[in-house]
Amino acid sequence: MSGRDPERQPWGNNGFTVPMRKDLVFGMAGSGGDGIVSAGDSLLQAAAAEGYHGVMTKSFGSQIRGGESSCRVRISTDPILNPGGDLDVAVALNWDDFLKFGAELPVSGKTVVIYEAATNIPEDQIPLVGITPLQVIAVPMTAMAKETAGTERAKNTVVLGLIAGWFGIGAVAVMKGIRKKLSKKGDELVEANQRAFDAGRAFAIEHPLVTSMQIVASDTKGNVKLITDGNDMCAAAAIFAGCKFFGGYPITPSTEIMQFFTDHVWKYGGSVLQAEDEIAGIGAAIGASFAGLKSMTATSGPGLSLKTEMMGLASIAELPLVIVNVQRGGPSTGLPTKNEQSDLFAAVFSAHGDVIRPVLAPTSVADTFRITIEAFNIAEHFQTPVIVLSDQEISQRKETLDPIDTSVFKIEDRLVPTGSDLQNYKRFKLTENNISPISHPGMLGGTYLASGIEHTENGAPTNSGTVHAKMNNKRTKKFDPLRERRDLFEISGDPDAPIAMVAWGSVAGVCREALAMARAEGLNVKLLVPYLLYPVAEGFYNDYFASVKKGLIIEQTHLAQFHKLLRMHLDLPKGVKPMARSGANPFLPGEIVAALHRLLSELQRSHESQLQPQE
Amino acid sequence: MNGTTTMEFQPKDYKSDLKPIWCPGCGDFSVVAAIYRALAAIGRPPHEIAFVSGIGCSSRIPGYTTAYGFNSVHGRSLPIAQGIKMANPELLVLAAGGDGDGFSIGGGHIPHMIRRNMDITYIVMDNQIYGLTKGQLSPTSKKGRTSSTSRHGSLEQPVNPLLYALAYGAGFVAQAAPIDIAGMAATIEEAIRYPGFAFVNIQSPCVTYGEESQQIKGLKAISESLPALGHNPADRLAAMDLAQHYGDKLHLGVFYRNPEPPPTYGDLIKERQELLSKDALPRERILDLFIKK
Amino acid sequence: MPTQGFDFAKLTLMDALDLAVLVEAEAKERYEEFAYQMEQHRTPEAARFFRYMVENETKHGEQLAQRRQELFGSTKAVVNGTMLFDVEAPDYDAARAFMTPRAAMAAALESEKKAYAFFSSAIPAIKDPQVRALFAELRDEELEHQDLVHAELAKLPEEALVSDEDFVDPPNSPD
Repeated sequence: MSGRDPERQPWGNNGFTVPMRKDLVFGMAGSGGDGIVSAGDSLLQAAAAEGYHGVMTKSFGSQIRGGESSCRVRISTDPILNPGGDLDVAVALNWDDFLKFGAELPVSGKTVVIYEAATNIPEDQIPLVGITPLQVIAVPMTAMAKETAGTERAKNTVVLGLIAGWFGIGAVAVMKGIRKKLSKKGDELVEANQRAFDAGRAFAIEHPLVTSMQIVASDTKGNVKLITDGNDMCAAAAIFAGCKFFGGYPITPSTEIMQFFTDHVWKYGGSVLQAEDEIAGIGAAIGASFAGLKSMTATSGPGLSLKTEMMGLASIAELPLVIVNVQRGGPSTGLPTKNEQSDLFAAVFSAHGDVIRPVLAPTSVADTFRITIEAFNIAEHFQTPVIVLSDQEISQRKETLDPIDTSVFKIEDRLVPTGSDLQNYKRFKLTENNISPISHPGMLGGTYLASGIEHTENGAPTNSGTVHAKMNNKRTKKFDPLRERRDLFEISGDPDAPIAMVAWGSVAGVCREALAMARAEGLNVKLLVPYLLYPVAEGFYNDYFASVKKGLIIEQTHLAQFHKLLRMHLDLPKGVKPMARSGANPFLPGEIVAALHRLLSELQRSHESQLQPQE
Repeated sequence: MNGTTTMEFQPKDYKSDLKPIWCPGCGDFSVVAAIYRALAAIGRPPHEIAFVSGIGCSSRIPGYTTAYGFNSVHGRSLPIAQGIKMANPELLVLAAGGDGDGFSIGGGHIPHMIRRNMDITYIVMDNQIYGLTKGQLSPTSKKGRTSSTSRHGSLEQPVNPLLYALAYGAGFVAQAAPIDIAGMAATIEEAIRYPGFAFVNIQSPCVTYGEESQQIKGLKAISESLPALGHNPADRLAAMDLAQHYGDKLHLGVFYRNPEPPPTYGDLIKERQELLSKDALPRERILDLFIKK
Repeated sequence: MPTQGFDFAKLTLMDALDLAVLVEAEAKERYEEFAYQMEQHRTPEAARFFRYMVENETKHGEQLAQRRQELFGSTKAVVNGTMLFDVEAPDYDAARAFMTPRAAMAAALESEKKAYAFFSSAIPAIKDPQVRALFAELRDEELEHQDLVHAELAKLPEEALVSDEDFVDPPNSPD
């Protein structure tokens, strides 16, 4: 594919255009003062303006400012499934900080490495052990910034100029964005940035890459695109679903959900409480639900642990509630800024007693919208707390999205008592489907006592074993229809494939890419992505695994939690094994494909051994 | 005779069919009777009242009323009450519990309730002991008190619920006791009527685990009426001065009532909602917020 | 103050009868509660006595209500129960789990004395002669009620030297 675009320089050998790239993964690292994340953001915005799909993730050290700082931006002409594996372009403003990110910014033989010349490290002696990158270029970014903009801090703009020059992204759009962002700060600052940008671009033009890596023009330039991250998407979805109350407490990486509510929920007649602690946050949300509103709280691992008692209360009182848990490295304080999926056990099993509590998991920023709405619908329909198990990567990852048609989504409300229900109203009536109409304060005839203590049909406290068994039955059997929801699962690939993957949350995105790669290489593989993690839909899984001889349950948990959860409920085929590891080390599509190849070999070997003539 | 207008609701309209499990002689019987009277005087229909409690003997109280009740978990009645009030500001919201529920596990919530100033009335039945779990120390137990968890005597000073509430700036702080039921009902009514967060500490003796000095006779011996002392409830410092005697004296009546109640949290929310709703994108278009400009 | 909001100087006969009915009703309700509490706390003898008091109060109440009906028909009452505070009803504090019948009767006696004191102390302030007469009657009736209780007391065997408290289980924790 080649083409001419007035905003691009023709590149490659002898000035003729050459085959261009459709997908580029940038990884940039420096210290907090280098403005790396701002640069990444500008790049993402520019890419969106030019019609590309883009995804940006960030990673930091533990200082609030000035510590090591990195971002990864993937830009593509096609929808992006995950932030990508090995970098195409690595930008290191200094090596100490770049190396701190280790496996998060993997450099390989296909990477172009651009680094700060002032590090005084020769191009053939960069500290990447055992790796020979495609090309290594030292650029005097800091000096250029000082010279053109009068400050070293403008080096991130120099980097953006370099990127525009070498890779063809944002030649006009980046500065357009910067102008907009800095418009209130005065012309001088904008012009300084323009000079720095131009200097970077000029350098790139004067020093062409050995292999062109220009990106193809997008054919959706000019289409409306959304840019947002998982947290904002979750909050917007909640308000769309009719959520009128949020109670919560700040905790990384979920705080932005609360912030969105504090910005917007008032406009819809709702309210939000930043409570004094995690427990008060969910307590207030439970109160609001009791009062008849759709309500929500959001937290991460440590907060989920604190909220445990209240979750049990909501379950026994049969109150609808959405609890978003944005997972991060655990246990305890763990790794607050890293991705992990190890809250699964806590989400499923937390709270003493015999409790079933639905757990849903989005896999991307885009489907966070649908899954959050689904969580509210399930919470209201089944009169239960529901956990949305997001993760740090989805929540913090900024993605471009095509517009979403909100009219296709159905919103469900809780079952309200009719006139005849309100004659001698029994809040916890043992109905055929175990769902009893729920009143709320202000409703004449609907008065009842909600409580954490076991209760009879009309809410009176009881310690009778017989009633308790009946009520436990009501509270658990009511979820049976949820196990039949096939729309909460996604299967891709050949449904009869003998090799299978199962992955959830952000790992599903990596596996989708791995699936495409594996199938392109001729592997007969299928992938199951469950959006409903609990209750376990045994029938569904049994169907999925019927054809399976070898498989992987792929997750970022040290204890292979989802694998264990499935084994609790069904007989997994012997050849289905966990591919599980601690968080902060993302899975890469390539390594999954390699693992699938290994499974294929094993499968072939066992076939062969079965076919061996008996001695 | 001095007319009382015919009331739409009688105290018995607020009394549910559920019979209390409290020990005969428990002070809480008088408290709930006083609550029925106070609610009748105010005249809100039972279904417009939400009554939240924690865990403990006194936390059983919502079930004994015909209001919407929520007998929740230990120490957490206040956050839940706040959520209810924010969700529907028209409701009359009450919270109740014991001294442990309120000042031990629940203690962290009280300052924030006070500074948010939601129009909620919080009634604590203070008996200086944990009754439901068989007689352990409570945060208001006197130093030296023997109990099932302090056989050699408590080593801790008690917390002072009145000073606590006053120091954190509560707009209405009062104390009552079953030795004056009329006064107790009137105080509770006044607390409910106060437009903002109101706290009523009620000395409610535990006949099973309470000390002799804390029974009705003992309370009568140390009680003093605040109006009779000439106390001016608009004077917060004077109130705090009197409140220091918690434990030695039983002052009955209103310690402090803010003469100029500030806007409640609910008032402020309403204002904000009205102001910002003009800017609202229709809900179906909320994703427009994310459009790349 | 056992009552609130009454100006005895201006008290009418209708109001006075309504008040009397309410006094009995209040007491009856309280004895019912006590009887239930005693049954719940397995104190049957005291329960039986309190049930007996319920009957008494009911009877007295019905008598007064009938008089009121004869004199004033179904004219709406101005007086209501919120103006009374345990005029004849025993204080909640009077009940105890495992209380002896003697203690139960002592509680009833105390209540009758309380009521006696109320009616007698109100009389000087009352202007209306019919009302005065009624209050005097009610006061004297309290003496009769006390006699009834004394009669019950007399039927009791000697106070035992040991109490139930010496035998019953220690308190437990229901939740």
